Amino acid sequence: MSNVPPDFRELTEATGFAAANGPWFEKIENGRAIRGFRPGPQHANALGIVHGGMLAAFLDSAMGTAVWHVLKRRAVTIRLSIDYLGPGRLGEWLQAEGEVVGHDEHMAQVRGRLYGPRHDVLASVGSFALLSRHRTVNVRS
Amino acid sequence: MLVDNPPQGFLRIDFDRGLPDPTFNSHVGPLYAKRGEKGTADEFVLGFRVRPHMCNPAGGLHGGMMMTVADLVGTMGAGTLAGIRKFLPTVNMTFDFVAPAKVGDWVEGRAELVRVTRSLIFSTIYLTVGEEKILRASAIAKIPSGEGPAFGKARLERTPA
Repeated sequence: MSNVPPDFRELTEATGFAAANGPWFEKIENGRAIRGFRPGPQHANALGIVHGGMLAAFLDSAMGTAVWHVLKRRAVTIRLSIDYLGPGRLGEWLQAEGEVVGHDEHMAQVRGRLYGPRHDVLASVGSFALLSRHRTVNVRS
Repeated sequence: MLVDNPPQGFLRIDFDRGLPDPTFNSHVGPLYAKRGEKGTADEFVLGFRVRPHMCNPAGGLHGGMMMTVADLVGTMGAGTLAGIRKFLPTVNMTFDFVAPAKVGDWVEGRAELVRVTRSLIFSTIYLTVGEEKILRASAIAKIPSGEGPAFGKARLERTPA
């Protein structure tokens, strides 16, 4: 896939909502997961900038992935608070990442950031419930 | 082929009149709206049937889809309740994911106005399946000064869904 910065791999295992609104990409840098995508017309709102729902979904995915990479636990989002700082523009490469700022056996607190080449787009903080180490995510077809 | 079969009163929203490509609201949808009596909880209701392309790998409604619809309820919906027909950019949203939903569920979204100032709309939003709440959101949307662009080209289709 052209137009993707080096070291990013496409998340080909995506299904459902993520697949329908992809392709999404990821790279691991110094143990941190960074996700990226390049928005197109299908991600736009009525103003011709990226829809807030799409941005929220993408940032949420990056924050959940951060939990997995740091704690090796699957997690589900319980609460997410997002500040919309600036527009996401179509055609610009957008990146999102999460930082685990605290956790116990059941919950993790994550700070998230979504940004373009020149400016921050979203800032967020979220609480994620950690799934049991023994529980496998039941994937339905 | 899944048929949405929306409840009585819901009309499909056409977000893209005259636009060359479908935008995000069409891409993730179809989405429906119902207009009820002014001043009631049903004055503006957004609705959709959960389809596989709205789901996560576990087969439940994707949080991103819930946030997308809640964002619309907090802008288009709360704006409608406040009598404002401008495009309202979202300033902040806080989402609590209280329960899952599954393919085939009919989801509805309603906004309650908390306060409307000259420049901001504060609202509380619930997404529900039947009587069960699945998402609670707290939203702040900005009211642009001046005329600003209208809320896109979204119109309710008058033909039966």
